[in-house]
Amino acid sequence: MAKSIDTGTMISETFQRKVIEPSTPSAYSDSCHVGPDALLGIKRQQTNPTRWNGQSWQEFAAALRDHDIELRENIAARGTFATDAGGTAYGLPHGVVIARSAAQVSALLKAAQQFRVPVTVRGGGLTTEGESVAFGGVLLDMTGMSQVLHVDTDALTVRTEGGIFWHSLAEELRRHGMDYLSAPLNLTSSVGGTLGVGGIDVNSPRLGCSADQALSVQVVTPRGNIVECSDTQNAELFQRVILGYGQFGVITEATLKIRRYTPLRMHYFYYDSLRIAVEDMQLLNRNDASDYSGILTIMDCAVNLLVAFDSDEREAAFRANWQSHLRGHGEPGFALCMLRRYVLRPWKLPEAWFLFQRKRELFPEFRRSEYMRDGLMHDRTVVFSRAVWKFWGSKQMVIPDLATSAEKFVEAVERGNAVCRKYFPHYTLYCVGIKLRPEHKAHYEMSCIPPDAEGWAYGCEFEPMIGGQVYSRDYFQSFKNAIYDIGVDLGGSYYRFGGMMKGYIRRVFGDEVVDRHLAMKREADPAMILNRDVIF
Amino acid sequence: MLGFFKNAFSPRRDHADCSGCSLCLLVCPVWRQSRDISLTPQGHFKAMQHGLSTADPAASVENCTLCMACEPVCPENIDITGTILELRRQLSAPLWLRELQTRIAERAAKPVASPTASSILLTDQALLAHPDTLARAVRLLGGEGAISTSGDCFDISLALEAGATISEQHRERFLTPLRQMKKIIVADGLLLRYLKQWLPYASIIGLGEALSGHAGVRRNLCATDLYVIEPRAYHSDYQRLVKYYDRLRVTHGCAFNLDLQRIAIPATARNLSQRLGLTMPNDEGQTRWVLHGRSINRIVVENLEERAALEKASSFPVVHLADLADVHEV
Repeated sequence: MAKSIDTGTMISETFQRKVIEPSTPSAYSDSCHVGPDALLGIKRQQTNPTRWNGQSWQEFAAALRDHDIELRENIAARGTFATDAGGTAYGLPHGVVIARSAAQVSALLKAAQQFRVPVTVRGGGLTTEGESVAFGGVLLDMTGMSQVLHVDTDALTVRTEGGIFWHSLAEELRRHGMDYLSAPLNLTSSVGGTLGVGGIDVNSPRLGCSADQALSVQVVTPRGNIVECSDTQNAELFQRVILGYGQFGVITEATLKIRRYTPLRMHYFYYDSLRIAVEDMQLLNRNDASDYSGILTIMDCAVNLLVAFDSDEREAAFRANWQSHLRGHGEPGFALCMLRRYVLRPWKLPEAWFLFQRKRELFPEFRRSEYMRDGLMHDRTVVFSRAVWKFWGSKQMVIPDLATSAEKFVEAVERGNAVCRKYFPHYTLYCVGIKLRPEHKAHYEMSCIPPDAEGWAYGCEFEPMIGGQVYSRDYFQSFKNAIYDIGVDLGGSYYRFGGMMKGYIRRVFGDEVVDRHLAMKREADPAMILNRDVIF
Repeated sequence: MLGFFKNAFSPRRDHADCSGCSLCLLVCPVWRQSRDISLTPQGHFKAMQHGLSTADPAASVENCTLCMACEPVCPENIDITGTILELRRQLSAPLWLRELQTRIAERAAKPVASPTASSILLTDQALLAHPDTLARAVRLLGGEGAISTSGDCFDISLALEAGATISEQHRERFLTPLRQMKKIIVADGLLLRYLKQWLPYASIIGLGEALSGHAGVRRNLCATDLYVIEPRAYHSDYQRLVKYYDRLRVTHGCAFNLDLQRIAIPATARNLSQRLGLTMPNDEGQTRWVLHGRSINRIVVENLEERAALEKASSFPVVHLADLADVHEV
């Protein structure tokens, strides 16, 4: 099939802002699927998507075969994708297609639009709320498109297919002495999936989220048109696709900024107060005092502020100007603090033992000799990501989060921490700032970036350590709701507001914004087939 | 040290524990070539969790090259290789495998020869097919008086790879002479893994590690070499060998076929059928990836099968470790 690139005409037709129609359930009852939580109504806290009824599946399958698209309907193929990293949402697609080219994805979406078959797009499958789980319809496995197309070491850009894992991209870039700018601390997130939701790294306080590193993307729209878009070309589509939770197109290729690879000079500061650690992190961010910063905790007992640098010069400037302002301890100093704390509170010795055990397991992982050379950490993403999977990964992962402006962040973290304390004996908080780009304000609408954030947004993930414990889905849901209610109360946002948590979308973004996006979605995706039940 | 004991005694888990993190995909040569998760262990394990039965045919079980790269990266500590071999065991045995089992049974009935040296090199077929290289290797490892060679292990290796059951009697016949050895050097990485399980107190190392420890070999390694580690032996003792090769890198500066996770990238990606010559191997993509972006002048290999593939794919000289030592030292 010939590859076609749309002109901007289609885009302006699709994205012109129309008069907003009423969005009550009855108004659309005879129309295409919209999740009830996406409409006006009661303030819901959870959505369990219904399974698609399979109408016209056979005709759709025949249409794919006519285009020589391999559709796998056996249980081996379907069962592989029955859940996502969260492991609490389960659903089987009717069939699976491995993405191989933009033209193939285009043909698939055109047929899906014609026969009204839901298409769930999956990259690394690292969603936690069932966003990449297909409740019927076809699952499009984007990892089939994992080639790096071109590395330009002069212009410092890379063109890659959208299904590639960030780690695979890093492997390729390293052969050229290069590295990506920022990506999730997870080796198996896909580039396309990340650009659709944000992507946070410990250098995001300086470089912004991963989605902000995209210079342009090739998108297959829900109608099946192949469109190249950027800040200057089909800009409205670019605004909706970046941080758009997969509602307005499938990212098949992306051009990203890259940089020369450098190892890290790491510093760790330890706190016993969340508030002080957050304040110190924000101090560093405001003053551009470090290249990397983030907070990782063991409950609220041991709070680690990670600070790192790409160069000796930046590290030296930090030592001279900012290190003395930080109120955290080094490792020996913090050990003394802990000793004093638990000697005075002997009834908390089990907690102290847990901290000790955790430290004994975790610390060597961050200092493995094969990744440390001359005091520098090499391949930090591998070190961090392997530790993330080893110490925090499990078959069930529940990671509610809060994103707020800088001013509201300490309160968000402290209130979220109190919720964690109430629900789980052990948990971890991960806090990081995100430098905002004023020129990307339009990208940020209805995304993880809170509408009132200026300069930086801040995010905190609240992750219970489940271990061998068994909790009911309802218990997890109550925990998530308790965290997300704080976001509604503070007027913030979330990273994971799709899927089962989309009942919060109207509560946190308001009807006007949601209705406007729903109208745009209806226009772009008349049969509402693409990533159904993620947002709408 | 504590980490070693923890890993050594923590229970291995099975397919039911797969969380679907995909870390194994990142290092899987079958994944790299196909970009098809259903051909990988993770795809198979997830499908088994959701309805696939062990009786269902699965290309992933037959296609696995048993490079074992997935095991060190698995955060759930799943016995991926063992599970794949167990699944192979449940497949119906092809004719060649039945013939192989008959051959092993016949050999088991014969008397065991007494060892003539205190150490033994268990060669693989590729090494036996290159007598000059084998002779140099033997001389580097101590000379014919100190080390004997044996090809008795070929059938056992093949049976292991095919997932065939090896009876207790057959195994004992194979292990009896090895128990008397001070040192066992093994060319086949899969056999190495099993020997370490069968003879936990014996001194057993891979051929690559044994040769690379020789001063004459090390002296001739240089910064413009690409040193291609044999993946099976490396991954079967990853926690120790990752540090061993890192020290080699520090002292000699050569590049290795390691990815960013410090996992060895195989220069070939051959499943059992391709190893046996029943279907055509296609190593091009894999060798290209090993060589991609490298600034080197020479390739040094531990494994002769990989030498052939790399010679085909590159214009650099490709030498086996045994050929690296100076003539007078050999």
